[in-house]
Amino acid sequence: MSASTSPVLPRAPRRRLLGDDPGRLGLLFVVPALALVIVFRIVPLIWGFGTSLTDYDGMSAARFVGIANYAALTRDPVFLDSIVNMLILLATLPVWIGLPMLLAILIHQGVPGGKLFRAVYFFPAVLSSVIVGAIFNMLLRYDGSFNAMLKALGFSAVDWLGNSSTALFSLIAVQLWATFGMSLLIFLAGLSTVPSDMLEAAKLDGAGLFGTWWHIVIPSIRPIIEFAAVVTTIGMLTSMFGLIYVLTAGGPGTSTTLPEFLIWLEQGRMNRPGYASAISMVLFALMAGLAFIQIRIMSRNASL
Amino acid sequence: MTSLSRALRAGTMLAAIAVTLGSAHADTTLTVWDWKSGDPTTQPYYEAVKKDFEAAHPGVTVKYVMQPHDQYYTLLGTAISAGQGPDVVLVHGGSQTKERTAALLKLDDKIADIKGRIAGWDEFTGADGGAYAVPISIQGFAVYYNKDLWQKAGLDPAKAPQNWAELKDICAKLKASGTTCFALGNKEGFGADFFLSAVAANGWTKAQQDAWTKGDLKWSSPEVKAIVEAWVETNKDGWYAEGANSTAKFMDEYESFERGENANTIGLISDVAHWKEFDEFLGADKVGVYVMPPVAGGDGSLKLPLAGGIGYGVTAFSPNKDLAVELAKSFADTPHMQIFFESAGAIPADTKVDTSKVESPSAKMILGWLADGVPLAHNNMATAETEEWHRQSQLLFTGETTVDKALARMDEVQAQAKKK
Amino acid sequence: MAAVEIRQKRALTLIALPMVLLALSCVYPVFFTINAALKTRKGFVLDRFGLASDPTLANFAQAWNQSRLSEYFTNSVVVTIGAVLTLLVVSSLAGYALAVLRFRGAKIVFTIILVSLMIPVQVVLVPFYRTMIALDLVNSRAGLVIAYTAFFLPFSVYLMTAFYARLPRELFEAAQIDGAGLVQVWWHIMLPMGKPALITLGILNTLYCWNDVLISLLVLQDERTLMVGIAALRGEYTTNVPLLAAGIVLAAAPIVIIYVIFQRQIVSGIAVGAVKG
Repeated sequence: MSASTSPVLPRAPRRRLLGDDPGRLGLLFVVPALALVIVFRIVPLIWGFGTSLTDYDGMSAARFVGIANYAALTRDPVFLDSIVNMLILLATLPVWIGLPMLLAILIHQGVPGGKLFRAVYFFPAVLSSVIVGAIFNMLLRYDGSFNAMLKALGFSAVDWLGNSSTALFSLIAVQLWATFGMSLLIFLAGLSTVPSDMLEAAKLDGAGLFGTWWHIVIPSIRPIIEFAAVVTTIGMLTSMFGLIYVLTAGGPGTSTTLPEFLIWLEQGRMNRPGYASAISMVLFALMAGLAFIQIRIMSRNASL
Repeated sequence: MTSLSRALRAGTMLAAIAVTLGSAHADTTLTVWDWKSGDPTTQPYYEAVKKDFEAAHPGVTVKYVMQPHDQYYTLLGTAISAGQGPDVVLVHGGSQTKERTAALLKLDDKIADIKGRIAGWDEFTGADGGAYAVPISIQGFAVYYNKDLWQKAGLDPAKAPQNWAELKDICAKLKASGTTCFALGNKEGFGADFFLSAVAANGWTKAQQDAWTKGDLKWSSPEVKAIVEAWVETNKDGWYAEGANSTAKFMDEYESFERGENANTIGLISDVAHWKEFDEFLGADKVGVYVMPPVAGGDGSLKLPLAGGIGYGVTAFSPNKDLAVELAKSFADTPHMQIFFESAGAIPADTKVDTSKVESPSAKMILGWLADGVPLAHNNMATAETEEWHRQSQLLFTGETTVDKALARMDEVQAQAKKK
Repeated sequence: MAAVEIRQKRALTLIALPMVLLALSCVYPVFFTINAALKTRKGFVLDRFGLASDPTLANFAQAWNQSRLSEYFTNSVVVTIGAVLTLLVVSSLAGYALAVLRFRGAKIVFTIILVSLMIPVQVVLVPFYRTMIALDLVNSRAGLVIAYTAFFLPFSVYLMTAFYARLPRELFEAAQIDGAGLVQVWWHIMLPMGKPALITLGILNTLYCWNDVLISLLVLQDERTLMVGIAALRGEYTTNVPLLAAGIVLAAAPIVIIYVIFQRQIVSGIAVGAVKG
């Protein structure tokens, strides 16, 4: 236990003892991370897979039911709807990556007031989803300020969160607004590795703003883009619960029910851990598949 | 070199801090889980229970752990499956208790002394007929109305509707005067739950209510269909403001009623959305209350739909079961219930509580109805059924489904959930 | 050259306009939250958006007492600092090993970390809780430090690996030629060079730990953290928005204050890492 809280800090006098062999030392350096991850995430994952093959209700002894839970999923209209919603959500990924990247590049290139933007864009990320949800609830409701503004401009009011056709997109927009500050920060860190003399050289060559971005900036932060894509995808699929709960409660109908919300519903209110685990496993498999594809698509210069 | 030793020292200190941070335990501690104990209105009640119990049982400490309500059943499920956690737990009456009886202690042989005094046991009774929690509140749906708005529409505030036709007439008049008839929040589907229970209460016979509980009264049967049709029809007739699907029943709906934006609302009699709160906003003399008439059926009498609200159960894994049972019962002691009623305004499960000092006219009417209630239909639905009704009720409003399609789907879910 | 620069400046100024609008939208909730916190519940219900006409600090007092913030504050501070420091050290070591040292099996380790990143919290909730009980880590702050480290580690290791992979290899090789051991390379080169990523991780992980409710609810059941106290301010049905807003202002204040105080260091830290050549 103490080994995992106090990371292995190699002592200087023992350097020879540890050796300077990159192979052995490298392994030693990842041991704390690996141990924590295996004990607290991988083992529970396997455990969860086991649960998904049972009819466990959290109380009586679990009975092995094979793939019955998975078979039931294919016939569960709520689950199927949640998968469709998830695919729609995933289709918006380019915006989740593009917007913060664009803003980061602009700030990095010295847009006037950049320092202020950097600080201010982070505010929504500091607020909890409860308050973000409460605010947007009031802005987006039928008699809310957003509709009042639309009416003033001559458009007709829309029940943004109460219509199946607009609820999911409203939810996505709010979550994007609430989290883009985090991705922005990651991109700013990534941009700091772009050699500034390359930018100077590009300027000397008379390259335009967009030319510089396309040919120098973006290629050189590719690992960070890849990182952001993977992490954002995972965030989209696993951390929208708070907002869904406050903003739409999964409705109307199933239009904002994402697998994550359904897992919560089945696990808690419906008290069916076995079934919830099966949904979790499907969600995990989808995320792993997606991340694999993303990493494949991006040319790997992380050279691993 | 020096930086390395500094890092080493930092690391050691970190480990040392981590090791010494463990927590110690007292003699006997009874842990109680709830989602209410920190609320200012219920605090006097919780403090009294703790003080009295600890005084009567030296060496025992009562510890309240207030959980956020949205994660309550997730956490409870985790504790139950790990077989470790609270001794006494607050639970909702109805399916949330009935579907968890395997993890709760059967209380039958321990509650003989309070059984007669307390009401609302049915909602905490498992499939085996045993009682699994001690009720502390009574839940009921009453329609509250804003007398000023009624008057403005040319209605007599003293004349509550006796049947569906009269209610329709009232809503038509309110609409004509530019007032929305009913406040409605159905974002979570609660609006549809309340509508179903309130309208079914005096329309269904005792036998039909029982059949409903067992899953024998199908959604597609005429009794239920009439209510679902009324749900759609009242919306078409303009009873509600636009945007019900994006309005939270708690508290958007009630707040709009409190602002005087609409004339009626189906409210509660427990500690929220109740007479006390409406009196505070609108003035006690401006708030009226009546029982929702049935859309069809019934014998013309209007009884308040009532059920056990919330109650305290003892976990099957508690190492101090006897003490825990004592504590659960202590929550329902008459003096404690008296405080619960007076500070939170919740109608208590204890029939011996002295309510004679209440001055609110609507509270007086409600207290008069308590003796003879009818069941709360939505309380007797399985959780899966409730969740699906929430979804279908929203789709019925957006027009994405029809009454028949919705009922067919509800039949399916009902059969699956109730028959297994 | 000058012409290009002037053109770029002009383009950037034009682009700044929509950025200002976005910035305003980000400031508004802060204003809204503080404003709401100054209203009574009744005042808020009757007028949700208007300025607090009769400002009151009662909500702050009530939030402070009701969620026992003074007790929970220490827990949050200790656990957050402990977890963030542990995360930074462990992830920087692992990132160094994975991206620079490239030992045998690095690929497998990286895959395991990636896989663990994709495990939804909900799926591991029950097994995770049981593991914590088995290791006797429930109800201890050390347990929560470990839990946070375990949960936020995959993300941190991944970012450090991606970041270190971007650094020119010559830096590492030059240091080795100078005779520095691998440990010294980590301390004298990798840590300073990793500053932008480490600062970013520090900020993000501080936020994750500080704002977490779910893991904390499971692990610290006797004592609580600040955010759990705030989350419990939402009743079963009633959301008393002014009270909740006051709680959120109190809970977010330390983070915002730290951010403001250290903003210059943070900004320059991110900039200093810029690689020349």
